[in-house]
Amino acid sequence: MKPTPPARRSRLVAVILSTIIPGLGQGWLGEWPRALGVFLATVTALGATLWYGKPGWLVIPAALWVWNVFDCLRLPRGAPLWLATLLWLGMAYGIGWQATEINPRAFIENSERARSVFRPMLEPDFFRLRTEVRQGWVEVEVPCSSAPPRAEHTVEAVTVRVSPDCASLNEALIVTVEGLWPNEPTQVFWSTPIGDIKLVGGQYNAMLLVTSDEAGKITALVRVPPSAQDAMPDPTLPLKHRVYVEQERKIGGIEISRNGGYILQGIYETLALALLTTTLGAVLALPLSFPAARNLMSGHAVTFFIYLVIRTILNILRSIEALIMAIIFVVIVGLGPFAGMLALTVHTVAALAKLYSEVVEGIDPGPIEAVRATGATWLQVVRFAVIPQIVPLFTALTIYRWDINVRMSTIIGFVGGGGIGYFLWQWLVLNDYRAVSSCFIAIAVVVLTLDTFSARVRERLG
Amino acid sequence: MLPLSSHPAHPPGECPLLQVQNLTKVYPSGTVALKDVSFDVDDREFLVVIGLSGSGKSTLLRCINRLIEPTSGRVLWDGQDITAAAPAELRSIRRQIGMVFQQFNLVRRSSVLTNVLSGRLGYANPWLSLIGLWPPTERERAMRALERVGIADKVNERADALSGGQQQRVGVARALMQEPRLLLADEPIASLDPVLAHSILQYLEQLNKKDGITVICSLHFLDLVHRYATRVIGLKDGIKVFEGLPQEIDRKRFKEVYGEEAQEVRAASLEAA
Repeated sequence: MKPTPPARRSRLVAVILSTIIPGLGQGWLGEWPRALGVFLATVTALGATLWYGKPGWLVIPAALWVWNVFDCLRLPRGAPLWLATLLWLGMAYGIGWQATEINPRAFIENSERARSVFRPMLEPDFFRLRTEVRQGWVEVEVPCSSAPPRAEHTVEAVTVRVSPDCASLNEALIVTVEGLWPNEPTQVFWSTPIGDIKLVGGQYNAMLLVTSDEAGKITALVRVPPSAQDAMPDPTLPLKHRVYVEQERKIGGIEISRNGGYILQGIYETLALALLTTTLGAVLALPLSFPAARNLMSGHAVTFFIYLVIRTILNILRSIEALIMAIIFVVIVGLGPFAGMLALTVHTVAALAKLYSEVVEGIDPGPIEAVRATGATWLQVVRFAVIPQIVPLFTALTIYRWDINVRMSTIIGFVGGGGIGYFLWQWLVLNDYRAVSSCFIAIAVVVLTLDTFSARVRERLG
Repeated sequence: MLPLSSHPAHPPGECPLLQVQNLTKVYPSGTVALKDVSFDVDDREFLVVIGLSGSGKSTLLRCINRLIEPTSGRVLWDGQDITAAAPAELRSIRRQIGMVFQQFNLVRRSSVLTNVLSGRLGYANPWLSLIGLWPPTERERAMRALERVGIADKVNERADALSGGQQQRVGVARALMQEPRLLLADEPIASLDPVLAHSILQYLEQLNKKDGITVICSLHFLDLVHRYATRVIGLKDGIKVFEGLPQEIDRKRFKEVYGEEAQEVRAASLEAA
């Protein structure tokens, strides 16, 4: 089939041609597929070397070039192909290394950063020692109006008195407090009308700490923080600032910390979201599973067409990752748990309908005929021969799906879908790695528990 | 026990229990499973249908209670045309005809009790049965049926926890719940080993002789045919090639029905004995 028998062409010419352009000699000798392969391999290797500008890599295209000349010389057997393949793969590996920016040194170079991430993870923020708080406050006018109200205020047992009753920035105030716990450190701080907390210790950069006396009293000198009127539209307008005093003491035992509470709330939301999407998905998947079952639909051309259409739609929906679907729904319905719920539900419907239909396809026709033979009605046949066969498997699959949905809704939370994922994302952004590690632990515990539970149930039902 | 003859004569004016007339079944694929098959079955007979697999035995039994719709021909039950019966009529006929299957056809995940009770569906209140409520009398009936086949102790086990022989006994108990006049047994022992095969057939024989239930049973083994049948029908490629007393089937006749595989089947049946 070759245009000219290669034997009649000069080998020397071929070698010279290959030396000029890789593969040309092989082509001239009639080995066109080989010629193309050699050419592409050398050119891509050379191209990659130039693109990434690494002179050291030039070894590979050069070696390929030499291999190519050698190959031409030894045709028709040619040079060993595995050698060229290995060279080219080495090149491809280099490109891959470059493209994915693999940099193992980053682990060592940034060990300080790694430590700052991992160390807090060793002390998860889930529980704290139980404490109780005693707090008091009083309102102070800044700056003074013509008739400032008396700066004295009592919350429960704690009476806070400030004199004078008003002040300007940097002016001194005497704070006296009664009714505190005796001999306990007491925090004193400033709060602006918009709720900004200002420190009044040191150079307005530390918490002012005063220990109460035997009678539960303190007296402290507080200067109005110079930044107290920042962001106020009119600094001449007298506004009510507050001076707070607060005591906190351990009362023994431990309780769930603030972040721990958020984690519980997040877990609860995630479980609820997963449960909601699973039940909704199951309800919607149920009627779809029958027309998606081949054994029920293959009898007639029309029903088979319906089967094909439903199956295709389900397969397409299932192939879209739930996270991507969530992003699409965020565009449609806006940020929030609703988008996540929609995405998970659609994904659940697609997955469950397919699994259910496989159960229906695997149904044993024997019991159906046996129950029909007893003189049972259609409904009785469904109740006694069909449902007992499919319900345990449907239940097992649904529980399994709930398990999956819990894991998925964690991820969905990242795009604003609510639940534990949302908190996790926030804490990651805030660099609160203690909370992040608590999140990890909580998610692991929940997923493991559910996994065990669903495995047990499936075992019993299967 | 009633005297039985090869071609049972019934008193004039009284029709046989079951009449099969010119029954033909052609499947949509074009396979002719039954071709113009006719025979009568009298009360209290133990009729055995023999033939190779694919000879139409299963189709014949299923055409009798219309699990399979015959293409043409008639099946008369007590003079009433089953093939023309309306759905409600058909159900009331079906409940008088019990059926036992080669693969037992139990709901594997349901309990033995539920499986047995499902035999009573033709009599049960349709709505109460749908929510799984059975009157105590029916539960007692189910227990009696299970006692009859000797597995009352398995009542609460799942059907698939039972051995093959026990499952078939559940199948027989389920058929008993129908208080049937006729029992169709489609290769009831083909999935069982020889010892169990005898025990199942003995239950059928007992039902036939003690309770007067007519039995139509398809079988493979010649010696079992001789042992249990009161009359035999042979099918080959959907055509009735033999009808007569079991004694009339010798090896030659048997070979006619079974063709070249006869020897092999014979050997298997000897082992079973």
